[in-house]
Amino acid sequence: MSSSATRPVRSRRRRAFSRGDRLTLGLFVGVPTLLHLLLVWIPAILTIVLSFTYWTGIRFGDIKWAGVANYTNIFTKTPAFYDALRNNVIWLVWFALLATPAGVLLAYQIDRHIRGHRFYQSAYYFPVVLSLAVTGIIWNFMLRSDGFINGILGRDIDNAISFFGNYDINIYVIMVIASWRHVGYIMLLYLAGLKAIDPTLREASAIDGATEWETFRKVILPVMRPVNVIIVVITIIESLRAFDIIYVIYGTSAGLPILGVLVFQNIAGEGASMKGAAYAVLLFVLSIGPIIAYLRQQFREDVS
Amino acid sequence: MAGVAGLGSLLTSCGSGEVGPLSFGARTVDESPTKQLKALVAAYEAKTGNKVTYNATESNAFQNNLSQYLQGTPDDAFQWMAGYRMQFFAQQDLLVDLSSVWKKIGDQYAESYKIASTGLDGKQYFIPQSWYPWGLHFRKSMLADLGIDPDGIYNWDDFLKMLDGMKKKGLVGFAAADKGGWEAMGTFDVINARVNGYQYHVDLMAGREKWTDARTAKVFEYWEQLIPYMNENVLDLEWDGAMQLLLQRKAGAMLMGSWFGGNFKEQSDADYEDLWIIPFPEINPEHKRDSIDAPIDGFCAAKNGSNNDGGKDFLAFAGDMEGVQAMLDTGVPMTSANKGQDTSTYDAFQTQQLAVMGEAKYIMQFLDRDTRPDFAGPVVGPALQSWFKNPKDVNKILESLQSQWDALPPL
Repeated sequence: MSSSATRPVRSRRRRAFSRGDRLTLGLFVGVPTLLHLLLVWIPAILTIVLSFTYWTGIRFGDIKWAGVANYTNIFTKTPAFYDALRNNVIWLVWFALLATPAGVLLAYQIDRHIRGHRFYQSAYYFPVVLSLAVTGIIWNFMLRSDGFINGILGRDIDNAISFFGNYDINIYVIMVIASWRHVGYIMLLYLAGLKAIDPTLREASAIDGATEWETFRKVILPVMRPVNVIIVVITIIESLRAFDIIYVIYGTSAGLPILGVLVFQNIAGEGASMKGAAYAVLLFVLSIGPIIAYLRQQFREDVS
Repeated sequence: MAGVAGLGSLLTSCGSGEVGPLSFGARTVDESPTKQLKALVAAYEAKTGNKVTYNATESNAFQNNLSQYLQGTPDDAFQWMAGYRMQFFAQQDLLVDLSSVWKKIGDQYAESYKIASTGLDGKQYFIPQSWYPWGLHFRKSMLADLGIDPDGIYNWDDFLKMLDGMKKKGLVGFAAADKGGWEAMGTFDVINARVNGYQYHVDLMAGREKWTDARTAKVFEYWEQLIPYMNENVLDLEWDGAMQLLLQRKAGAMLMGSWFGGNFKEQSDADYEDLWIIPFPEINPEHKRDSIDAPIDGFCAAKNGSNNDGGKDFLAFAGDMEGVQAMLDTGVPMTSANKGQDTSTYDAFQTQQLAVMGEAKYIMQFLDRDTRPDFAGPVVGPALQSWFKNPKDVNKILESLQSQWDALPPL
């Protein structure tokens, strides 16, 4: 094949890069690295540093060292933090146990070409093309007191069903909205992975007399490992960084506290304080922790 | 007349068009106020030949971005609020000193407006546009149906009797909203002032009195008595949802700032003429009805704007009676801060607003303008929401409020 034919040429080149090559490489590696440092790492490190200060975010001269005061404030004085944490955990559990498996199941069914699979594919994929903010706007129109659903139920605003204002159910209302989009997203990712599977694998397991479920569990799932990793990571990140839908529906009011909104509420506007930076750091630690743990375990399995 | 005098001085001191094109940032996208502001801009352009770029942002978004906006490339002049919220940005050196403008047009305003426009350094940074009282709004026709005379609602018992009447008719007595997190602050302010007096409000906002004080808890005792008369979806409605309840004759009364008169007028003149306001009822005879939330809205000029002189020139026009008249001519109801607005041209609702103001001895700006911004929005807002969710938790909520106040960073 062509790759084996070009290999010796490549390896010779590696030893002696021409001036032009070096320049190109330097540009291609250097510029993104610089941008990455400038736009990601430096702000991230500054956020961590600022989370240990008092500052209104305007004049550098006003920055005062606070030690861990912002963190003790969050952990010991702020009930909203625990409400938010609880909501983020519900979000994560819901996504992990319901939305993501539903997406995988749909992908599998569509890949098996069930009747009308083309229709299902477009129908479930459709919400994914909308940004989360737009999703929030659409569902807000549907569910608010003077919205579509209350309208067709013939309820006026004085006796409307309170989808967003009833604190016992509103997190689940939001979960349905978020899943509406998440399911399609996972479905698409998984479907792309399934399409790439060699069909002979399925045939072989069918010949060996494996049931559909056994085939999925023992053949498809292991082959799909790279996609599985992506899906787990996406599920964790999407649940913890959640912000857009809530912000569109509730603004910065604490109607449904989640960590993303607490970051924004404490860092934006006139009430800016570095408590917001501390929330951001906590959110970062929470999201990065499980992801690192999961990836390490996966790679260890790969090695052994 | 003050208006004419101001006009004269403006003509001599403003080099029409010389200051160059400028931009103006409105913190509203609503129909009525937009009409008003565009008329102001048009009148300024017509008079000076100076081009003004009009940028509008929805008010919550505007507020959330204000710090960044003022540090970036802001509009030369923008809409903002008086008092603490202006002083904060003036202190950060983000606003243009408007003392020279006040020298020109200051005689058109009462002293109290000048005080509200003054920063901690004694210079003025704000031009008032309008004020509005927070009071009990209702429809005259609905009270007439109940056979109640609005002037007869003086104290708490009268008030509860009226709410009872509404409830017996199957209506919501007291329309309430708190999805935005700020709406209920007005109710807290006024009950607090009625029960404990103006000074207690000021001291509580400044942290000199405690949220855990029995007097603060007392506010919630009275507030709780209103809950049976409220709509059930308080936390699902924003202020305009509560207004809709009143507009659609589904609720008897609502505590709100009178700014929404324009929304009633958009609906129809008959609806606007039916609208009425009285002071929130007396609770403690010692304090009668002597305090009111009456925030002042207006304009500031941004120091980082590209044309500071342009911003000042435009605001001199906006504060002068000539600019005010351009806004009044749109027919959108406005109670201007300018002395030149002839109160004899007020319609009945506006005259009544003035009467409600007149009864008050002490003016409050509103909870989120009278206390620290990092306390009002992120702490008091959610606390009131959780009170609506479970009113029995009041002591726990107040303890948490106090401990969150104590944990605030030193200023």
